[in-house]
Amino acid sequence: MKFLVTKDLAHSTLLGNLMAGVSVALFFYLGLDTVLHAYVIGSDMLSITNTLYGNVEEFIEPILLDSLLLQVHIDLFMSLFSIMIISSIYIRLYSDKSVTKWLMHMLFILGLLAPLFLMVAYFTSIGFVYAWLVCFGLGHLLGMGMSLRIIKKLLFK
Amino acid sequence: MLVYVVGILVTGVWLFLLSQGLGSSDILQTLTQIATLPETKSLHNFIEVATPHLFAMATLIFVVAHFMLFSTKISQRFSLRFSVLLFIVALLNILAYILIIFGVVVSGWIKLLLLALFVLLFLLLLGMVAFSL
Repeated sequence: MKFLVTKDLAHSTLLGNLMAGVSVALFFYLGLDTVLHAYVIGSDMLSITNTLYGNVEEFIEPILLDSLLLQVHIDLFMSLFSIMIISSIYIRLYSDKSVTKWLMHMLFILGLLAPLFLMVAYFTSIGFVYAWLVCFGLGHLLGMGMSLRIIKKLLFK
Repeated sequence: MLVYVVGILVTGVWLFLLSQGLGSSDILQTLTQIATLPETKSLHNFIEVATPHLFAMATLIFVVAHFMLFSTKISQRFSLRFSVLLFIVALLNILAYILIIFGVVVSGWIKLLLLALFVLLFLLLLGMVAFSL
């Protein structure tokens, strides 16, 4: 992401628009990713536990380890790239604010913990499902909030 | 970022071993099975796995290796050679299964060797980045 920190934005409207464009796309990506996970894993506690642990009374089989691991594998990759792009643009625009560093740490930690807690929840107990929900929700909200701040700064100066 | 990459590598290797029968046997048995008689895969299965990995592994190596540009402890020439080697090993690792599919090799030792080499080199690159930063 070196190009994002070395170019002076005041002299390059193209770079500014490119950064705004990718931020808009990432804002919608994070929103749709939440919807996708609601479809795949579940949108409420009952459907999430049915997906992860199955339900004997309703003859629902738990999700296969292969499928869950594939989801986590893809989630880690997509989180890494989306978070890296958002954070490098955010640092470029808000490096003078002291809260930026903490927001970066929060975003990276939440993005990493979410798939980790999902795997732990699958092997252990329902308690980690709550931890996954909190990390996933907060991480996505934080990413969307940061994308909005980037868009606001770039398009509505 | 480095922890994310380690997570991606671990889940990737785990997924590969699961596809080779890790769920029903222990790890040593699975490795022996891959080396002697790997699971049969169709060309469709191979393309389904290889296509996203060609994009993902190349971009992941690019993103991690580009941090070596900022390194003052390891020379750019060494980083360049190491990155090119990693790109080549990643490509061979992705394409290794095609040799098994077309019957060029019967055993899966080549896939195991390339997978182990790729993971080892990537971990070394991550170590280099961590050391440099």
